[in-house]
Amino acid sequence: MLVAWRYRKREKSFIQWFDPRAWLIFYACFLVGIVTFWDVRYLLPFFIFTLFVLFTSGVQWHEIRKAFLFILGFVFFFAILTFLTGRGGSEELYRQEHLIRQFQAPFSILGWTPSLDITVERIFYALSQFVKVSSLAMMTILIPYSLDPRLYGVTFKGLGMPDKFAYAMDLTMRFIPTFARDFQLTVDAQRARGYELEKLSGGLIEQVRKMGPIFVPVTIHAIIGSEDIIDAMDLRAFGVGPRTWIDVLVRENKDRILIGFGVAILFVSLVLGFMGYGNFWVPDFLLRLAGP
Amino acid sequence: MDKKLTNVALTLAAVLAILLLLVYGLGSVNERFQTGENAVMRFVFVGVGLLIAFVIYYMTRDNAAWEVGTRQVVWMAIGAALYAVFSFLFNGTVFVVPSLSQVALRPAIAIPMFFGYAFGPVVGLFTGAIGNTFGDALTGFGLFPQWSMGNGLVGFVAGLPMLFGDKKKSLDTVLWTGGILALLGAVLYFLNPSQPNAVFFDPANNVFGDAQITLFAGISLLIGFALVAIVRFVFGQNLDIAAAVTWGMLGNIIGIGFAAISDIWINGYSPVAAIVGEFLPAAGPNLIFAAILVPLLVVAYASVRRQSGR
Repeated sequence: MLVAWRYRKREKSFIQWFDPRAWLIFYACFLVGIVTFWDVRYLLPFFIFTLFVLFTSGVQWHEIRKAFLFILGFVFFFAILTFLTGRGGSEELYRQEHLIRQFQAPFSILGWTPSLDITVERIFYALSQFVKVSSLAMMTILIPYSLDPRLYGVTFKGLGMPDKFAYAMDLTMRFIPTFARDFQLTVDAQRARGYELEKLSGGLIEQVRKMGPIFVPVTIHAIIGSEDIIDAMDLRAFGVGPRTWIDVLVRENKDRILIGFGVAILFVSLVLGFMGYGNFWVPDFLLRLAGP
Repeated sequence: MDKKLTNVALTLAAVLAILLLLVYGLGSVNERFQTGENAVMRFVFVGVGLLIAFVIYYMTRDNAAWEVGTRQVVWMAIGAALYAVFSFLFNGTVFVVPSLSQVALRPAIAIPMFFGYAFGPVVGLFTGAIGNTFGDALTGFGLFPQWSMGNGLVGFVAGLPMLFGDKKKSLDTVLWTGGILALLGAVLYFLNPSQPNAVFFDPANNVFGDAQITLFAGISLLIGFALVAIVRFVFGQNLDIAAAVTWGMLGNIIGIGFAAISDIWINGYSPVAAIVGEFLPAAGPNLIFAAILVPLLVVAYASVRRQSGR
């Protein structure tokens, strides 16, 4: 049995107001545009737009809570960690750090006194990282909640893919929640037999071998299940001639505007990037405050 | 050459020309085109990967291995979805996978290797490339198109034995080619043992891809090759197992090598940093899965085929 993403038609949803093809084109432009920058001033408009999309998506908090907290928690954890340690940015984005304040522990461990350096660069690197990655994550996470599963295939076809590859993309998106469910069922079933995925023992090779009881059943079950789908598609003469789709997508002016907006974002981002704008930035007044 | 084929070939040739223009033409004018995090270059390398696949397709285009029918469409989707789910679950945030001495393991890599070998290069390419893209999207930490293409090449090359009528042919050539590449990798490591391991992250211990690569990580490709060679000769009687692990190994070396080397232009890595710091610790551990999980999947699938008669 297929398990579906938690899609439903939502009233007054900004994302669902557009043709899914237009939205995916816009999403791709947004994605390439945002990875061009590390300057938080350039990233903030992307972040604000992401929040606008999120709050106007019509997706309810209780639907998205688990995935949202997991991903944002992950992003936040890494941002905090890079702030505390200073790692990540110092190798690639900045060479010098300007100290604002240093906290030292009132104790020593074997002669080493734990300390925390708060520098302007660390603060802004962590901030930029959080803004950038959380924008990407939020835009991505909304897609399965907003895109009608019945339209996956026709959307990819409309984006220029051949019928067969459009249908393969359609099936891929449909299978992901199903296989995640199958994986969990298999883990539970093996757990009932005393198998603990979290407590694999033995050497490296032995531990890898012990993953077999999870990998093999899930994969082989998926392949066996595919026969039913293949039969159903063959019975409907899939691939014999050009495919027709039950749902027809019609591109309207609002979709053209969205695509134009996306392409403009992409173009401006790339031009700015190539001209050297949007690199890592910290405000001058904070540098002056921190001193040399 | 028919019109459609000409168009595809011209498009791919144009992508390659743009790459060369960006790197060697504009690179001399603006350093942004040479190094640093470059969004455009990521997509250019996707084009290069597709070009590699297209050239192989074009040279053997009459072979039945390139046929894409209903079965291949469904297998592509299943492979990509499984790879996405396993990648997401085993990326270290949901399930902690075993690791040893800076070597982070990705058991999911067995999926494109197996699907490529069992169902052909097109299915392998789709499984690796699209599965990795969806896996990255599920994790929510951004997309890395050139690495998705590299994963696609893993599945693509793993599926190439389907082009041969006799799978036994070229098996030893492929094995020793992989062996030579693994040996070259190890030699490069011993010449540059102080190189940081760019794919090892351990936030709890303040390591962000900057710890010096360990001996185990440095020679992991060689260890993986040894495992693959053992499987190839111990299970020499079972041609499917021998061919699956051997071609899976070559696919892994070529695919991950492609992605790592692309970082010379995309992230501004030196060739040594890309090969020793990125390629070796990423590709080496994958071979452990090629040697252990892929044979398990091959045997299980053979059993299913016997029972179902398909």
